[in-house]
Amino acid sequence: MKKHARLLSGAAVAAVLALGASASHAAENTFIFGAVGTPAGFDTDAWLTGTLETSVNVYEGLTKHGITKDASGRDVIDAATVEPHMAESWTVSEGGKVVTYKIRPGVKSPFGNELSAHDVAYAWERARDRKRVGNFMIRVGRIEAVEAVSDSEVKFTLGTANNIFPRILTTVFPALTDSKVLKENATAEDKWATKWMEKNTAGFGPYHVDSVRPGEGAVLVYNENYFEEKPYFTRVIYREIPSPASRAALVKSGQIHWADQMPIQQLVDLIKDPKVKVDSVPGTGAATLRMNPNFKPFDDVRVRRAINYAFDYDAVSEAVFRGLGERSDSILAPAFGRFYTPAQTYNTDLDKARALLAEAGHGNGLDIQLEYTDNWWWEESLAIQTKDALAKVGINVDLKRIPKTEMNSRRAIGKRDIPFFPHLANAFVLDPGYAFYLSAHSEGSSDVNDYNNPVFDKLVDDLIGEQDLDKAIKLAHDAQKLHADDATFIISDFPKTYAVTVPCISGWLWYQHDRVVWKHLRCDG
Amino acid sequence: MTVRSFLLRRLVLVVPILLGITFLTFMLVRIGEQDPVAMLGGPMADEASLASIKAELGLDRPFFVQFGIYLGNLVQGDLGDSWQSSERVADEIRNRLPASLELLIFSVLLGSLVGVPVGLRSAQRPNGLFDQVSRFVSLLGFSVPTYWIALMAIFVFFFLLQWAPAPLGRLDIAAFPPPDVTGSYLIDSLISGNWSTAYSAASQLALPVILFSIIVAAPIIKHTRAISLEVLASDYVRYAKAQGLRPRTVRRIALRNSITPILTFIGTELTGLLAAVSLIELIFAWGGMGQWGLNAILLGDFAAVQGYVLVLAVFSVAVFIVIDLLVLLLEPRASLRA
Repeated sequence: MKKHARLLSGAAVAAVLALGASASHAAENTFIFGAVGTPAGFDTDAWLTGTLETSVNVYEGLTKHGITKDASGRDVIDAATVEPHMAESWTVSEGGKVVTYKIRPGVKSPFGNELSAHDVAYAWERARDRKRVGNFMIRVGRIEAVEAVSDSEVKFTLGTANNIFPRILTTVFPALTDSKVLKENATAEDKWATKWMEKNTAGFGPYHVDSVRPGEGAVLVYNENYFEEKPYFTRVIYREIPSPASRAALVKSGQIHWADQMPIQQLVDLIKDPKVKVDSVPGTGAATLRMNPNFKPFDDVRVRRAINYAFDYDAVSEAVFRGLGERSDSILAPAFGRFYTPAQTYNTDLDKARALLAEAGHGNGLDIQLEYTDNWWWEESLAIQTKDALAKVGINVDLKRIPKTEMNSRRAIGKRDIPFFPHLANAFVLDPGYAFYLSAHSEGSSDVNDYNNPVFDKLVDDLIGEQDLDKAIKLAHDAQKLHADDATFIISDFPKTYAVTVPCISGWLWYQHDRVVWKHLRCDG
Repeated sequence: MTVRSFLLRRLVLVVPILLGITFLTFMLVRIGEQDPVAMLGGPMADEASLASIKAELGLDRPFFVQFGIYLGNLVQGDLGDSWQSSERVADEIRNRLPASLELLIFSVLLGSLVGVPVGLRSAQRPNGLFDQVSRFVSLLGFSVPTYWIALMAIFVFFFLLQWAPAPLGRLDIAAFPPPDVTGSYLIDSLISGNWSTAYSAASQLALPVILFSIIVAAPIIKHTRAISLEVLASDYVRYAKAQGLRPRTVRRIALRNSITPILTFIGTELTGLLAAVSLIELIFAWGGMGQWGLNAILLGDFAAVQGYVLVLAVFSVAVFIVIDLLVLLLEPRASLRA
């Protein structure tokens, strides 16, 4: 461990010097993050390489989730509680349809400007006009208006009172930016300073961008005006190392603190390596295969159920996720606590599958195509296992690998023309209504298999607006059952989220956005 | 025909070739299912959002209108913007091409310096011990996957033996880039007398250059051997031997007659290697054009792919012209008209 610490401190000082920082900073604690690519922008409304990985460290919300302990005593995000953060308090009126937040005094950007209600209103106005991620939050949170009542008070008017809205404010969608700085950098053609945000940041969070070098990486430094405790790492070298094998070699040798996005092949070896610390938490996104009911033979619920029964869940857990995943048994993750209803999915039963296929008129077999890509590391092996499993009940699966961008394009809203394919959706907002809405509501952006059941939609809409906890739990349970009955998903495993670091790193706290928040980390030893 | 008129004639011929390549690339990236709009919109984009991104990118216009705009910008040196990196494509190429060329040129030089003598020597005694060994090594260079040999080399020389520096790009993270003269960190740091940077650049170059030179040398050994065997079996070499000339003199005659086809072969190989270097760049985090181009293809970054292919085409044309001129220099009997 000492050797790692020495190597890293030398590398960190060197890196700081090399990337153009002043020598006075070299002695500060520098974190070296081995990333897939150099950040191509810092606007959470335009997801490019590295945008989320950096943005969650640059911007923060008006509110935050509380932190609690799990069964093992580890700190985890408490989905049930929403606490003040950049807002110090709030009041709710008109039956929950108007919520007014009081901005915490002394929250400043690196430019020295204090966060005001006008910054908050500006961020939402920008999101509404840009019509991207922030706009989705406006829709799902039923936000009708955002208005700065005074410098320190911002009022949100909602179409209906709902549980998603306060949780949205814990996220970086939209990012709360220093509107003075953005306005200074806006142009006639670019009124929201989107071009400027490709290379710069103006958040109120713990870090801000110091420099970016395309093809090499970026340096982020501590926001000296940050309103909370100063983090251990005050500089972050975000280093582009595209090859996962190289990231693995570098973290093993102690040249980087953190190897991001490691595929399972590397993880299996790294877990056994004493020179590397591998930590994991269950994720909120399940690996699924989606069947689009608009296409034959998936328009027949008996076929969809038969496929669910024919799927070999144990083989997938073993062969695809190498025992490193966790079998999921509902469209909702266990992280949703009391809203989660276990065992709302299927178990392997070949006789049932054959009977259902015969009933649907496919007793002599069936030909289907499964299209997949490499968006997630597990896709190809899951596809192969599916082919093997379904062959046992006479379903011949033709596997077709397509480019990542083709998959993204064909499952986008307005197109959605892939009959059978893998998908994973993470709920960035820890609310069951949001998770259902995102993945399976007919207006959900991740309803990529075009599932459209008005009864399910109504359950979700009611759940989003339901203020009575018991009623909300009942609605969530009903939605899970209905979705399982309709069987448009094969729900496999939760691929865990892994932190691959040198042994001295501690403090990792998992967030629903699945990106590491550097302010909690430290290196001891 | 003078060299000047030769060059002018080549340039005139090059224009329709480049235009054709530009059109084909422009069309091919668009007729596939690759579509950056959904990717840029992110997973939560709605239809209105996707439509606005499409309009922003100009992808809602008819194909030939898009191509016309692209060509109009191209003649002014504007290759468009990369949607993935937000950089101007021309700037990306300007920044990254020297990194690729540095790796490529050192590898080709080393590969040629090893490959040509080994090929010539092998041809001296076909099926002898040296020939057998060199053919085996050449076969290895052909058959071992680039990425595998690169990863193994990193594991052995960086991780186990700690002889090589970390595969973190062109310079050790402690070194500053030298003032830009040629684009090669090694040469530029030597020019500026910055010895520590020169040492760092040389250290970072060593492993990828040696690895890539193995890949470069394999076909050079094979072709040099074949060309040399053919020359050694020619009438004029047999005549020289019959004249009782010393073996050294005979070898010199053979070399002289082999060098033109060998040079032509190396030139041909060089044009393909600029694309092939991308895997080495990816593994060594080189930040060069190959790594960037590969990423652009995978992500459907239209403007970047178009710029990348155009640069490969221009590079190939330039290499062929240089090779023609070198052949003329070495072989004055060769006609520029041919």
